[in-house]
Amino acid sequence: MRRITIQGIGTFGGFGTGVQALAQALEKGLVAPSIRAVPTGHGATELAALRADLAPLEVLVQARTLRRMDSFSKLALLGARLALEDAGLEPAGNDNLGLVIATGYGATTTTTYALMDSISRDGDACTSPIHFANSMHNTAAANISLQIGATGPNLTISQFHLSVPSALLTARQWLLDGRVERVLFGAVDELSDLMAYLWMRQRGEHWAGPMAPLATQQETAIPGEGAAFFLLSARDEVKPSYCTLQDVSTGRHSGPLACGTDLLVLGADGRQAFGATYAAAAKGARVTCFTPHYGSMPSGPAFDLAAAALMLRRGKAYATPASEACDFSATVLPADAPLAKEEISCLTFAADRGFGRIRLGGV
Amino acid sequence: MTQTKPVAITGLGCICAAGDSVVACLDAMFRGDRAPAPPVRFTTTHPYPFPVFEVPQFLGEPELLRTSALALFAAREAIVDAGLNRETLDGLRVGVCMGTTVGSTMNDEGFSRAYRAGQEPDLAPMDLILNSNPADVIAREFGFMGPCQTVVNACSSGTDVIGLGASWIAAGICDMVVVGGADELSRITYNGFISLKISDEAPCKPFDVQRKGLNLGEGAGILVLESEQSRQERNCKARAFMLGYGSACDAYHQTAPKPDGDGLKRAIAEALACHNTEASSVAFVNAHGTGTPDNDRVESHTLAAMLPGVPFLSTKGYTGHTLGAAGAIEAIFCVACLEQGRIPASIGFVTADPGLGGCPVSEPLTFTGTVALSNSLAFGGNNAVVVLGRGDRA
Repeated sequence: MRRITIQGIGTFGGFGTGVQALAQALEKGLVAPSIRAVPTGHGATELAALRADLAPLEVLVQARTLRRMDSFSKLALLGARLALEDAGLEPAGNDNLGLVIATGYGATTTTTYALMDSISRDGDACTSPIHFANSMHNTAAANISLQIGATGPNLTISQFHLSVPSALLTARQWLLDGRVERVLFGAVDELSDLMAYLWMRQRGEHWAGPMAPLATQQETAIPGEGAAFFLLSARDEVKPSYCTLQDVSTGRHSGPLACGTDLLVLGADGRQAFGATYAAAAKGARVTCFTPHYGSMPSGPAFDLAAAALMLRRGKAYATPASEACDFSATVLPADAPLAKEEISCLTFAADRGFGRIRLGGV
Repeated sequence: MTQTKPVAITGLGCICAAGDSVVACLDAMFRGDRAPAPPVRFTTTHPYPFPVFEVPQFLGEPELLRTSALALFAAREAIVDAGLNRETLDGLRVGVCMGTTVGSTMNDEGFSRAYRAGQEPDLAPMDLILNSNPADVIAREFGFMGPCQTVVNACSSGTDVIGLGASWIAAGICDMVVVGGADELSRITYNGFISLKISDEAPCKPFDVQRKGLNLGEGAGILVLESEQSRQERNCKARAFMLGYGSACDAYHQTAPKPDGDGLKRAIAEALACHNTEASSVAFVNAHGTGTPDNDRVESHTLAAMLPGVPFLSTKGYTGHTLGAAGAIEAIFCVACLEQGRIPASIGFVTADPGLGGCPVSEPLTFTGTVALSNSLAFGGNNAVVVLGRGDRA
């Protein structure tokens, strides 16, 4: 079986921009949410959220290139460019580079507002062709491939909160099958007005923070947005790797999942509906959880993956935010605890007993 | 590319404007039937009602998006066709891989309009979308426990899923994978394609000199892919074999194919190489053949270069362009045509375009070969190709 390594990480979100910003946030132990104004039928309402800043993209990409690009694609492009930079690859001419993108909800700013507005306000004949093209779920993959010259296989997967393990399963398989030698894999979700509004309507009184995802019997979720991209390689690379991607499995579980690894990174994100499932899966295990750094979003497992890769590289754990609130029987790793084995599993649960499990190993 | 063994296709199901079963669709196509008409499920203020291929007799299921209801309908036919039922499926590792465009998009006109008007709209339309992920719906219905993946690769999705599902079988991840595509006709996509100036005001004419664009359609196509071990254990014959899959991106334009067909050429080459299939052994090609000037020009020249002399057709003149479902529906047609040893006429084609690389079949054609190839091209510059071989079912 071919050995797959993570050669580069490009990530940004409520914690800042870049893999170093994520590492710093993980070391510091807490990221404060910001306030997002959400238009509602009763006027603007404030929502605590972990928001992403797109300004760094304007340093990397010419404004002219970005002028027709929707916000969803910009989020993805920033993640992609950061991952290539971290891997030491050029941002153009990436012939035969595979591209796999995971998104829970796609371009919700464009589909629900820009495109709809053009139809509702001005009539069917005035539908905006640009907004229509940008409303496709694969618009981000299209824009990235155009910008970086990625001419290999190109795929976008949308499976709500299992989008990341589901898409990573395919990215890994492409590498194992020898279809390509490198895949740029990423996950992206935007906290658009629509998603923020739905968040508030579905939850009623929302939580202002801080998130305490290991308090599994409470609803402490705060929405997040951002992107996390990875340069995966099946080559013998010169540049040192973060870690190896050992296995990906996803599906529906019929009972507690046995992970058999030293450490579980739980994707628990403060949503009470899944708290008991995480508690059962983590019972007696060594666990950690970092979602308070980036918030609750379908792309969350990609940030878990980035955090796990950083831990494997440094050989010791990061502190788990709000670990004192843990309400189930498990060993929550303290800051700087050494990893007993070079193996970490990232675990995600979703509706209908859905699960995703990503196993990483040392290099 | 690592060469892989053929993967058996043991069940098919289909619903679209051509018919509500695989048999009904093939019969309609060989009769030369088609009935594009102005949309009846929604209104339009366009001065001219662009024709579409609806499935008006399909009522759907109230708790699901129409897209997912179409998928479920086709899945039931495919499961039965594969000789499966809930008992025989029990204990098997079954995955689901579905393609769609409309079926995953968070848009509802009524909800958006109300929200923009400062109202507090009912969340039911959004809940319906969130409850209707096509792959999840099929997995829930049949109790499948394996990987569940919804591919949103625009119009190549229905072809991509076949390649992805086959790789899960080949890798031993699943015993069986239900793959396919589904998309409903939507006012938003209808307006969107018209805004791009690639819709025809008349019934579409793929590869014809007078072609002006596509007609949208709706439907679903489902294929059951199965491991050799599984089908041997239940003594099941294959309707066809998946012999190869290739995909590549043009990285050229968001909505137009690359003029030199580079991405499509690489996708075809990869698909043929998977099983060392010689171009000369291909009996026919199901072209993407939307009827847009750009697509048909690029695709015909690419076929002339890669598969010279191989007959090709577009079935979109019978079904309309069913977007994320198209690749799966057309792969199903390929399988059925391989079984029958004939292909229908490429309806809508009358007059050759000297600017194209060739002409599609204008009459039904019989053949003796055992291999077919099916193309899909998509927004985002995606190109996906599958190679299908005749099965061992009598």
